[in-house]
Amino acid sequence: MNRMQCLKSIKVRRSPWILTRFKSTDASASEVEHFRNLAPTWWDTHGNQRILHLMNLARLDFIQRNIRNTIKIENSDIYVPGFNYKKFLPKDISTAVQEEFDNEIEKILISRKLKVLDVGCGGGILAESMGRLPYVQHVTGVDLTKDCIEVAKLHAKKDPALKGKLTYELKAVEDVEPNEGYDIVTCFEMLEHVDSPSSILSHSWRKLKPNGILFISTINKDLISWFTTIFMGEYVLKIVPVGTHHLNKYVNSKDIIKWFQSTVPNKYQVMDVKGTMYLPFKAWVEHNCSDVGNYFLAIKKLPK
Amino acid sequence: MLKSYNTAFKLVRHMATSASKSPKLTDVFIVGGGPAGLGLATGIKTSSKLKHLNTVLVDGGDIKGKVAPFYDNPPDFYTNRVVSVTHPTREFIEDKLGATLRKDRIMSYDGICVTDGVSKGLIDMERPGMAWMVEILNVQSSLLNRINQLKPSGFNLLDKTKVVDIKYSDPEDASSWILVSLDNGETYKTRLLIGADGFNSRVKTFSGILSQGWFYNKSAVVATMKLDMEPLKIRGWQRFLPTGPIAHLPLPGDNATLVWSTTNELAKLLTSIPVEQFTELVNAAFVLEDVDMKYYYNQLMNGKMTTTELKEDVQFRTNQILASLSDESMADDIYPPPITDVLDHTRAKFPLKLFHADTYCQERIALLGDAAHATHPLAGQGLNMGLCDTDALVRALESATDRGLDVGSLFALEPFWSERYPINCKLLSLADNCHKIYSNTFPPIVGMRTLGANIINQIGPIKDYISGTLSYSGKY
Ligand SMILES: Cc1cc2nc3c(=O)[nH]c(=O)nc-3n(C[C@H](O)[C@H](O)[C@H](O)COP(=O)(O)OP(=O)(O)OC[C@H]3O[C@@H](n4cnc5c(N)ncnc54)[C@H](O)[C@@H]3O)c2cc1C
Repeated sequence: MNRMQCLKSIKVRRSPWILTRFKSTDASASEVEHFRNLAPTWWDTHGNQRILHLMNLARLDFIQRNIRNTIKIENSDIYVPGFNYKKFLPKDISTAVQEEFDNEIEKILISRKLKVLDVGCGGGILAESMGRLPYVQHVTGVDLTKDCIEVAKLHAKKDPALKGKLTYELKAVEDVEPNEGYDIVTCFEMLEHVDSPSSILSHSWRKLKPNGILFISTINKDLISWFTTIFMGEYVLKIVPVGTHHLNKYVNSKDIIKWFQSTVPNKYQVMDVKGTMYLPFKAWVEHNCSDVGNYFLAIKKLPK
Repeated sequence: MLKSYNTAFKLVRHMATSASKSPKLTDVFIVGGGPAGLGLATGIKTSSKLKHLNTVLVDGGDIKGKVAPFYDNPPDFYTNRVVSVTHPTREFIEDKLGATLRKDRIMSYDGICVTDGVSKGLIDMERPGMAWMVEILNVQSSLLNRINQLKPSGFNLLDKTKVVDIKYSDPEDASSWILVSLDNGETYKTRLLIGADGFNSRVKTFSGILSQGWFYNKSAVVATMKLDMEPLKIRGWQRFLPTGPIAHLPLPGDNATLVWSTTNELAKLLTSIPVEQFTELVNAAFVLEDVDMKYYYNQLMNGKMTTTELKEDVQFRTNQILASLSDESMADDIYPPPITDVLDHTRAKFPLKLFHADTYCQERIALLGDAAHATHPLAGQGLNMGLCDTDALVRALESATDRGLDVGSLFALEPFWSERYPINCKLLSLADNCHKIYSNTFPPIVGMRTLGANIINQIGPIKDYISGTLSYSGKY
């Protein structure tokens, strides 16, 4: 498949009546309107955004694990625990080993002072969480729904610990400065809400520093996704507001990886891809079938 | 002279109040330096994930002057608030918090012998290393010692200080940070307020969280006892009398501790009679018949029996019963070692109650320990439940920190209460009522209720409670 074909395969047909488009990464007007209506309840963890707050826990687990996996311990004084070491060592020693190991990783991470760009930040659920991680120096959140940006700004003010760590802007990703300026770029639950996912991908990729990581999550275009996210989520269990999802906008994980293959061959490394599903009234859990339903993806930008 | 001192004092007070105008910011504000509150402070400052959280702990009592010195300088007698520490609690204190209890003052015991004062039924549960008897002061001072060792930054312990006012920093917003005013004039603004302030929790009152429960109309009499000799088998003894259970639990050497649950009226009698008479009654309560006990209570209440008369009568009747045993050596297996003395100043009584808060948390507030639940000492679970709560809260805060949540948000605190509530519910024997509480149709019970011995049945099969609950705090 050549590059053009590949792009086409994940490009969603635009609604013909949206004629005036001024940004290639624009969310459709109806999407902006939908999220504008949701803005006031964005932080209600017991209301209709609860499922998103719960998903955020799984996102953070995925992000933390992948970021930690990139750290190599070079301090020879630190014993790096091998596979199954807990079985062979007494409990107090294995706990101490693990603790020393974790502390060393934390130390290295903190020295990196990571800069994060959250594309499609909504009311700031992910951006705030990232902002609180001790090794994140700053988070820039961008979104095209004005009300969401306002909600995000207002909510961040409630926590003095976030002061100076977050910037929210009403902006399209291509207008974010500078290119190659971010250690982490996140596109969570947003590709399924835009008309041209491929341009979001290419702009997001451009913002990433070499060795940086792009985190993506979205929904495969399949019957299971329709069943879980639209039929069950919106209509039966009513845990997601009706109108949140449109099956024709869903993007398959395989297509995203194909896009990287054809667009930036040899310049990327797929670090991790995991399916994720919601167990009703419990939590989001990861699984290995990344081509059904929702999924998380971590892609590293290899140095030139 | 006195006058000028007064003015100086007023001046200091004045300065203190004006300083209160700008509240100090903190992440966690703990009210209460009991085992639960101190456990949480130690947990936060021990955890590599939480130690960055600024933490303040206040207690009205003299923690630094009276509680902390116990660790290096314990009194030469055993204090009267003794608890049975279960395996999960000890693991939490020693492995997770890294505190070391004073080993010379704890007693491991190998089971409990339960007898029925009416039907002569007997359950002998042998279980080596079932649990440990530990003074509450030992737990508190070990935790304080651990905190001192850690020399934590961002930690402030304010003792002899009381909370005088609590309010939201934005009265319109119940998710805003909370302002806590102290009687020393200081005000703190906190991300998370912890009510570890015992049964009459001020934090709970502020939160508006309701509780279900009742007073039993009964009291527990506690005391430290001396035995005639060190027992060979180290185990606890519990006898169910019609007025409530009496328990005799081992301490190191020739010491033992007593928890005698009885009617308020009898508790008053038991704590007011001369200690020699009390000693005789304790011995009698484990051996004699209910009619005998009733006779003694009556005589003593009306002042119709001298200490010598009581002593002789108990001796006589006890000998009769022992003589009726087929084999006299059996006595050691069914009766606890006789006591020779009770340390008078350790004799105390406290009212029995069963209370359970409907929830343990809301935005910016979490309740821990006795503030969330008060229980009958029969099951010996008060402190264990409190420390297991603390363990769960520490884990919830750690996982919230990993996920970048605001640790004061209800969303971050929820897993703590959803883990502990059902377990505590079971332990509080409210399991049957839980569904009612959940569905919120259960009207708060405000009146007093007397349940008498029936409560014991509600706590579940006695054997289960002894073997599982008592040693594992309902965890397994
Ligand atoms: C007299 C008595 C005897 C007991 N004996 C036994 C026993 O023999 N066996 C057993 O298993 N359990 C016993 N218990 C129960 C056991 O002590 C509790 O279950 C356990 O201590 C609970 O710990 P906690 O940390 O939750 O609360 P507590 O130990 O009650 O600690 C609460 C702390 O909060 C402080 N405080 C309260 N309000 C304020 C305020 N406004 N400002 C500042 N500080 C405040 C108090 O000074 C206190 O130090 C007894 C309880 C009492 C009261």
